[in-house]
Formats: sequence, structure tokens, C-alpha cells
Amino acid sequence: MNPLDKPYAQLALAVLAVLVLPLFLKSGILATEILIFAMVVAACNLLLGYTGLLSFGQGIFFGIGTYAAGICLTRWQIPVPVVLASAAVLGAATATLVGWLSIRRQGVYFVMLTLAFSQLFYFVAYTFSGVTGGDNGLLGVPRPSVGGTALNAPWSYYTYVAVCFVAVFAILVMVTQSTFGRTLLAIRENEGRAAAIGFPTKLFKLEAFAISGAVTAFGGALHAMLIGVAPLSNIEYHTSELILIMTIIGGSSSLFGSVLGAGFYLLLADALSTVWPRWLLLLGLVLVTVALFLQRGLWGLVERGYDLVFRRERAPETPAEEH
Amino acid sequence: MLNRRRFLTTSTLAAASLAAPGLVTRALAQGEALKIGVPVPISGAFAANGKFATIGALLAAEEVAAAHGVQVSTLDLDTEGKPATAVRKVQDALAQDGVKLFAGGILSSESLAMGKEVERGGGAFMTTAGADEITGVDCNRATFRWSVPTYGAINETVRPIIDALPDAKKWYTITPQYVFGDGLLNAAKDVFQEKGIEHVGNSYHSLTDKEFSGYLTNAIAAQPDVLLLLNFGAQSSDTLRQAVSFGLKQRMTIVVAWASGLEQFEALGPDICEGVYFGAQYWHGADSALNRELVAKVQEKHGFNPNYSFAGSYICSKLLLEAAVKAGSPDGAGIAAALNGLKYQGLTGEEEIRAADHQVIKDYYLLKGKAKADMADKDDYAEIISAGKSFLSPEDAGCAMPA
Repeated sequence: MNPLDKPYAQLALAVLAVLVLPLFLKSGILATEILIFAMVVAACNLLLGYTGLLSFGQGIFFGIGTYAAGICLTRWQIPVPVVLASAAVLGAATATLVGWLSIRRQGVYFVMLTLAFSQLFYFVAYTFSGVTGGDNGLLGVPRPSVGGTALNAPWSYYTYVAVCFVAVFAILVMVTQSTFGRTLLAIRENEGRAAAIGFPTKLFKLEAFAISGAVTAFGGALHAMLIGVAPLSNIEYHTSELILIMTIIGGSSSLFGSVLGAGFYLLLADALSTVWPRWLLLLGLVLVTVALFLQRGLWGLVERGYDLVFRRERAPETPAEEH
Repeated sequence: MLNRRRFLTTSTLAAASLAAPGLVTRALAQGEALKIGVPVPISGAFAANGKFATIGALLAAEEVAAAHGVQVSTLDLDTEGKPATAVRKVQDALAQDGVKLFAGGILSSESLAMGKEVERGGGAFMTTAGADEITGVDCNRATFRWSVPTYGAINETVRPIIDALPDAKKWYTITPQYVFGDGLLNAAKDVFQEKGIEHVGNSYHSLTDKEFSGYLTNAIAAQPDVLLLLNFGAQSSDTLRQAVSFGLKQRMTIVVAWASGLEQFEALGPDICEGVYFGAQYWHGADSALNRELVAKVQEKHGFNPNYSFAGSYICSKLLLEAAVKAGSPDGAGIAAALNGLKYQGLTGEEEIRAADHQVIKDYYLLKGKAKADMADKDDYAEIISAGKSFLSPEDAGCAMPA
């Protein structure tokens, strides 16, 4: 095992990212968005990288969290910690429902089911505009307050999100390092064998879904507070696609790879979008490159760099996703 | 920091300030430059609109700089057509670049969200987006809207056609199922009821539909005299194309209530547009002094006629920048004081900014597509049939302007 893959190294890198972002970015908003998507992508990684489940349903949970924050904070003025906890619970419950139905099928049928659910939840949100605001979204979502002061300054909200991010990242590291996490890896590698030795594989997958849904919805709620609006676009299929792209670019073999994936995508979009209207073309090229030559994503590059510097013999590269 | 920003700084022409000294009531602080953010979709599905909008804003900035001897820069903010990205870019511009003026927001959802954010940041925002809520229930001190809302769009397209075609008593509608579409549909139903028109049917479609043949078949079955399309952008173009290919133009009159103007005519071509009625916020052939001046300038500088995206961005930027010069500051309160109740000669003739809801009172046009043989030049796709102003009162629109 590469030393960088060890749990404490992963957590240390996450903390380092939190500390380093303000030094390199002028925009506290962009830095905050990177952290929010980093935790959401890490939650997707739990499914893709650790369980081998390619889910197009992550946008559902992100949107659920967004609407939970939007509704609770604009209509009922519920305290933010309660809102965040509620969003996580709601995300877990929705993910359990989606997962319970989707994991009954494998391979392409599983992917199609999550895609179908993604479209279904989008149209539910679009249709019930009295609750969700429809295409206009829910406006005026406030930021949290600490000690009676609203965190309206970008870097103060960044600090709040950073604390949440580190806590969530630590939980995900613990999950992946636990017996539960090891079992998920076993399911990913060979589900039939894992079932044959007595693991209730469907239950494990369902629990992975629930954890992933909870973290994603938690991130969605933080995102609504960041931008002050709960938009319909957060529950669109494109959000699922975006999260998956970030996960694949970052590399699905490491949780910190998710941080790299989120940062890379958002910084690339931010830098290129006003320079070249067709910048998404470049993204396509990046994805092709990753699929052909970098199946461990940006994290694979980091590992190679580490091995080169410390002259370690590198283990043969294997695709992380065996789905 | 990765520098995603593109500052397009215009020249300072001090001598030109002599041109309009009366407009400057308070001087900007010495050396203070005016910055205006242009939050529009520069990439993604609406990139073409964003491109014209950024050029329009730049022209307005150059004009204001030349007229008042101030330094003006525009800051292009790519919203990607997404509310979340739009708000983030506006937040960044407010916090990092000290931008207080924003002109843009082509899509309703992003405009509503940006308006709230600009209000929170103490700036001013002017948009051409369509949602009634912008100057209705979600109106706020910082947000102004140049475009005519759904009520005016329907009244200035449906009424003149009813008057012109007294035998056309049966109308069918095709509507996108969301707040904007329902706004148009409800306004149309009110006019139908008042004028004794039989509304023989309506087909709702989602915002993601691209195939409208089923809805058109329903329309044919209802045997209307007029088919009223209440969708917009690519969806109205697709519906119209399919309606023409179904031969509906020969069977009934077709009306597109909310057309996007020259861009849409260019995409459709004269064969499809001929004989079809279009409602439009702006037309480059409109007979007003400022419009003639704008068309001449844009032709000279860029070699094309200004379309709605260009013109809307131009006039919004110009109004905000002129207001900032007049107020001596780009702060929202000063801008609102300068703009509220302002009457001016605009692109559509006399225009007025209503103080109670920040809605610009301006003409909406009814156009009719010309035959290719009748076009005087490559952009002469339509003739103006009528133009007029129809607006709900601020109370009826639902605006309770915050103090």
C-alpha cells in the first residue's frame, strides 16, 4: 500500500487542502464550493470506488438536501444544525428507497434504474412548484449564524464548511477502513464470493447507499446556504453526471482523489468558461484521457509521482471499477 | 488565483465629458472607475445569447465613458445558464472585484437568484428575463427589468390579431408547463374571455420536450382558427418547424407570443417565418431615435444588426451606468433613486422606469414574417404590425416593494 493511501495520510491531506485553498484562491465562494463538492464526490466514491456501484442517482440526494435547507430555512426558520441533520436523514432515507429498488438489478440495469429515478425525482420537483419553487427555485436561503453573527462573508462561511468537510471526510475514512468498508471492497471485487461466505451483500450495498445519500444531501444543504437559493438544477440528472465526472477524474481508488476531482473540475470550469465557450470539449478530452490512460484518475498520478520521488516499486494498475 | 476574469477596460475620454455635463449631478470620487458585471451564459446551450450580450454591454460602457469622461470596465461572468453558477459568480464579483452594477441574466431562474444576491450586496441589477416574479411577488430594491412581462406580451400580440382577424374565433394553445408558461396562458385566457374567443384546447409540455408532433396532432383535431405558441427559444422554434412541416400554416394562423427576435428568425429562415405572427421585445427595425443610432453604430463597428440579446444588454448597461454617473456612486440606493420614475427616449421610443416595481414601461411588438422575395436585406425577416404598452399595476403584479 502506498503510504499516501493510509487513513491518517488521507485525512492529513484533506486538512492540508482546507488550509491551502485560502492561500491560492482569492474567491472564498469558489473555495467553499470545492469543499462542498469534495465531500459529495467522496460520498459518490464510496459507491463507485468502494462498492462498484455506478449510480446516476447522486443528484437526487444533492437536490433533496438543497430543498430541505431551502424549505426549512425560508419557511420555518429552523436552526441550521437541525436543518443539516434533517437533510442528512432525509438523504439517507431517500437513498435507502432508491437503493432498495435499484440494487435488485446489476450492471447496466442498475445504472438505468438510478438514471430513471433521477429523472423521476426531477419531474417531481418540477411539478410540485408550490413546494420547490419549480423552475425558479426557492429564493432567499440564509447563511448560518455563529454567536449571533450571520456568516455572510465568504471566508467565514468557508470556515464553517471546512469544519463540516473535515468531520465528514473523517467519518468516510473511518467507514472505508472499518470491517464494513473492507466488506464493501470484497463485494466490489467479487460479489458472488462475498455472498457465498455469508455476507448479506444487498444489505451492505444498501447501507453504502444510505451513507452516500446522507453525505450528499448534507452537501446539498450547505450548497443552498452558500448560493442563497435552492435551484431546480441541483436535482437534475446533470448534477448526477457532474458528480460522477468529478469522481472519475479524481480517481475512485482513494477518498482524497475525490477532493482532487472536485477541485480540478471546478477550477478548470472557472478558468476556462469565460475564455472559451466550448470549454466542455476540453473536459471531454480529459475524460477520454482518464478512461484510456489514467484509470486511477488524478490520484493515480499523485501515487506515481510519490513512487518516482521515493523510488518505490509501483504496484500494477488495476481498474478500480469492476462493475 | 486562476484568473478567469476578463476585464475589458474602455478608454477614459476626459474631454468628452463636456458633451453632456448636465447629466452629471454628483462627481464620482477622483479616479473612481465604474465597473459593470455582465452575468450571462457565455458557455453552454445559451452561449450565443451571452456572446451578443457581452458585446452590447461593452458598447454601452464605451459610450458612457466617452460621454462622461469616466473610466468604465465590463466584467464578463459566465453563468453557464445555471442559477447556482450565476449566483456564485455574482457573489465573487461583489466580494472580490467591488462590482455593484450588474446587467444580464437571460434566464428567469438565474435572474431571480442573482437579483436577491445583488440586493444583499448593496448593488443594482437590471435584466431582460421573462419571469413575472422579477417585478412581481419577488420584486426587490436592487432589481430592475427592461423586458415586458407575460401580461403585456399577450395583450400586445393576441388583442391586435383578434382585431385584425374577426372571423378567427377558435384558438388553441401549446404551453410549457411551469410558472412562465402558465403566466402567458392565464393572460391569454383572460383576453379570450373578454373578446368572446373560444379556447378550444391547450397542450402542456415539459421544458425538456423536443418533439411536439403529438401536441400538434391534438391541435389539428381541435380545428382552431389560430394556433398560439406560448413556449420560447429552441422549443418554440422546434414547435413552429414541426407545425409548418405538418402543413398547419395553410390551415390556421400561427402566433408565437414570445419570440426572441432576430436570432430566432435567423435560425428558422424566411420560408418558415413567412406569414407567422411573432411577439417580440425588440426589433432592429423599430423606429426610434436611439434604435436608429444603435443600429448604425453596430453596423459600422461589427457589421451586423443588433438582436435582442445585444440590445437588451446594451440598454440595461447604459441605464445602470448613466444612473451611477448621475448618482456619483454605483451603490444600489443611489442607482434606485436615479432610476425610479426616470423617463427617457429608449430603444423602443419613450420608456419609463416605474418606481413602484422597477418595471420599465416600454413597447412590445407584433411582427409578421415576410416572404423571402419581400425582404429588403438579409435581416428584413418581418414587418412591424403594431406596438404598444400593456402592463398590470404593481399591485396586480403582486409587487410589495421593500422599504
